Amino acid sequence: MAAPTERQQEEKEEEEEDWVLDSLGLYEDLHMFDLQEPTRVLEWSRGPSICVAGYGGSGGDGRSEILQLGLPPRLCARDKQGLCPERDFKVERGGFSHRPVHGLKQVPDTSLLVTSGPPDSSLQVWQMAAEDTDVINFVSTIPAGNASEKSWAKIATAFAENPWVLHGSRVSNVQVTEIESKRSIYRAASNNSDEVGGLEFLDCNTFLVCSTKGRLSLADIRQPPSPLEGAPVSLALGGERWCMGVGHSPDGGALAAACFSSGGQLTLTDLRSSSTPLKQATCKVPVPGQNAEFLGVSWAPALEGCLAVSGFDGTVHVYDTKSWDDSSREAAPVFVHKGHAFSGASSGAVVTVHTWHPWKPRTVLSAASDGSLHVWDWMDPCSS
Amino acid sequence: MLDCGMHMGYNDDRRFPDFSYITQNGRLTDFLDCVIISHFHLDHCGALPYFSEMVGYDGPIYMTHPTKAICPILLEDYRKITVDKKGETNFFTSQMIKDCMKKVVAVHLHQTVQVDDELEIKAYYAGHVLGAAMFQIKVGSESVAYTGDYNMTPDRHLGAAWIDKCRPDLLISESTYATTIRDSKRCRERDFLKKVHETVERGGKVLIPVFALGRAQELCILLETFWERMNLKAPIYFSTGLTEKANHYYKLFITWTNQKIRKTFVQRNMFEFKHIKAFDRAFADNPGPMVVFATPGMLHAGQSLQIFRKWAGNEKNMVIMPGYCVQGTVGHKILSGQRKLEMEGRQILEVKMQVEYMSFSAHADAKGIMQLIRQAEPRNVLLVHGEAKKMEFLKQKIEQEFHVNCYMPANGETTTFFTNPNIPVDISLGLLKRETALGPLPDAKKPKLMHGTLIMKDNSFRLVSPEQALKELGLAEHQLRFTCRVHIQDPRKEHETVLRVYNHLKGILKDYSVQHLPDGSIMVESILIQATAHSEDQGTKVLLVSWTYQDEELGSYLTSLLKKGLPQSTG
Repeated sequence: MAAPTERQQEEKEEEEEDWVLDSLGLYEDLHMFDLQEPTRVLEWSRGPSICVAGYGGSGGDGRSEILQLGLPPRLCARDKQGLCPERDFKVERGGFSHRPVHGLKQVPDTSLLVTSGPPDSSLQVWQMAAEDTDVINFVSTIPAGNASEKSWAKIATAFAENPWVLHGSRVSNVQVTEIESKRSIYRAASNNSDEVGGLEFLDCNTFLVCSTKGRLSLADIRQPPSPLEGAPVSLALGGERWCMGVGHSPDGGALAAACFSSGGQLTLTDLRSSSTPLKQATCKVPVPGQNAEFLGVSWAPALEGCLAVSGFDGTVHVYDTKSWDDSSREAAPVFVHKGHAFSGASSGAVVTVHTWHPWKPRTVLSAASDGSLHVWDWMDPCSS
Repeated sequence: MLDCGMHMGYNDDRRFPDFSYITQNGRLTDFLDCVIISHFHLDHCGALPYFSEMVGYDGPIYMTHPTKAICPILLEDYRKITVDKKGETNFFTSQMIKDCMKKVVAVHLHQTVQVDDELEIKAYYAGHVLGAAMFQIKVGSESVAYTGDYNMTPDRHLGAAWIDKCRPDLLISESTYATTIRDSKRCRERDFLKKVHETVERGGKVLIPVFALGRAQELCILLETFWERMNLKAPIYFSTGLTEKANHYYKLFITWTNQKIRKTFVQRNMFEFKHIKAFDRAFADNPGPMVVFATPGMLHAGQSLQIFRKWAGNEKNMVIMPGYCVQGTVGHKILSGQRKLEMEGRQILEVKMQVEYMSFSAHADAKGIMQLIRQAEPRNVLLVHGEAKKMEFLKQKIEQEFHVNCYMPANGETTTFFTNPNIPVDISLGLLKRETALGPLPDAKKPKLMHGTLIMKDNSFRLVSPEQALKELGLAEHQLRFTCRVHIQDPRKEHETVLRVYNHLKGILKDYSVQHLPDGSIMVESILIQATAHSEDQGTKVLLVSWTYQDEELGSYLTSLLKKGLPQSTG
């Protein structure tokens, strides 16, 4: 593909300018950043800060960078402060990974990071808090259970007396490992070779696994190893690919799992009784094709009943599930962020990951395959 | 000496650099060959008059033309604030600024300037502000490139920094924003527009104090576009003093702005906007919303301060400070949060209007620094103008990506690094001719060892043949000849053995000249091989291999080859 001509560049700049001006009526606040390497992880850390990491191996010698970015003061302020000019992220720490980073999690209450990525399902452990340097140091590897397993592991972390990591690339190799000693705490007793779509600790003793085929299983590490058969999240599973996000449902605040498919199905399951879905809806989103690996869904921590989905194109959709029922009707998003279509050199960028701000109700961070990182706070149509 | 700036955080002597770091004894004029100033910001030129007129320096000071034009204005403004407003005494005077500027030699971009017969300098475009430059400093084949402040992304009125692949031994780069990832220009502008729009919508007035050059033009262009698009009616004013000065400087330095500005300038006057009109002081009392750009930029005197006093008491109004404010100015006080200001005649002014600060300054971030290093290809990198905090990660990043050493010295520290100077050597034609005549021509896969003598005399280097060197020295030449005996089992007659050896060598040494001489010996290049029978054992033949010192390599190789023995069937 030929490099854009000057005229094409100008046109693209005009388009972007138009969009930013239009955005004045859509967003309270908007920040657009350009990372040197695109990231597919956005993990909150102390500071507050956010961790990002490269996955393309485009750095010299196939290295990828892991960065801990301190949040701009503007995004940390609890109330509306006038004099807060600082809109920039600060690189607080950085590290070099020899493999692309596809998964990254911070271990709560520690300064440890765990990452995962191809070519196998082993995990890498990193140390962030060394006093005299800003380098994130590699500490150790947690080896892949099965050496011939070629896909990378999904991870989740918890701190239960000791730092633990829940990991697995397929349902059959899901396990909980103690990070420092590498001792195995729990192993699933499953032969299911379906890929893991998502996994989460619900508390120190229980965790949830969602396979990419749309089956949800709950396991308790105090119980004997579970076969993790799980129940289907939807009656119409089809050949779609599923992912999962855990949050608090609007009814009674119980923990619920939101599962999202490449076909646009969104189901909410009450984890107290995971037999039938609580609510279902169909979202009108384009079919991702081979980019279904970026599919993600997450609950808003400070906006009751809202969740966001992304990974099907260059947009992020926000839905309000309070009014949903179990009929699988088509739902309309309350907001769509389109900024990634206008940033960066290439059109056709896909949103790789998104995450909510921990306490600002309508602030979301999203990153795309062209290296763009946006922080946006959309206007509440009800207040003015 | 690179730059000569003020530390804006101090009020006492600590605001000036400690020039005793340069030399404790002797005059600065004798020690320094020249001073280079990168751009007109006070943290780069603010101490210049103090340095040249109060400490004492009479040598040349180099800077670009726009910098030379703008520096004295800023220095005078700064002097006025510090002396007149704050009553300081140990400070330079207006006359000192004038005397200092007389020592300035202005340079053009990409113009090689000979400072003396060894030192030359060249300026490159740095973006950042009007007239900002990066400098390459060269002595012979060694060079240093200094960036000053720069940015790698073009904005509305300035282009991006650019340097050629000059491969300096050392690149000194600013690292102010090395560890930041900056929000896009568009979003910062959006924020500015949002604030202006909100204020104007609720009937308030927006005051934007500006310095005559730089951001003012950008913000005007921005507002004009916005007003046009949103069909806004509120008036925008620009104080007249600004228009004239700005126009004047832009006309002078049009080549320093970017493509877009140049295109528009050719078509129309820089300041003929549709929605922006000249300001009259009476307008400040008009009711209703408006936006006014006024000088000076730090609210320390003049029109902007007058307007501020009129509007400060109304919370619907807003003042947007677009740049850094020096301590002691009203601008600095309100940015620090002060809301009750003491004016002349002990009058207290209560500030109820909204105070906002916009940072539009253009510096290179980590990505930009990597880009510049990629462009210049230095052998070493040194980072300055950054935070004291460890930047170990950036250092490693640069070292790993470019395979260069990266230094971050503290004040007073000396950094040493190695260069690869080029030393040209003249080779005598006779030597060159002789070497090429001997044997096959050298190629990349088979380098030949050339023998010559290096004569270093009277600042010149010559490579001549050893005979020539000996002749010049009046010495006789000695010949060194090696002889080696190799025993071979061969009961046949000598001349048959010789034939065997000849065929064997001819087959292996395809690129060399192998001759069977009429007298029964073999010549490989200039190496002689003869065969004789062993005195005591007829079944053994003794091969005599003889070579001169110059043919040592081939001689040793031949010997070891022959020691391996001859293949059985050779006729």
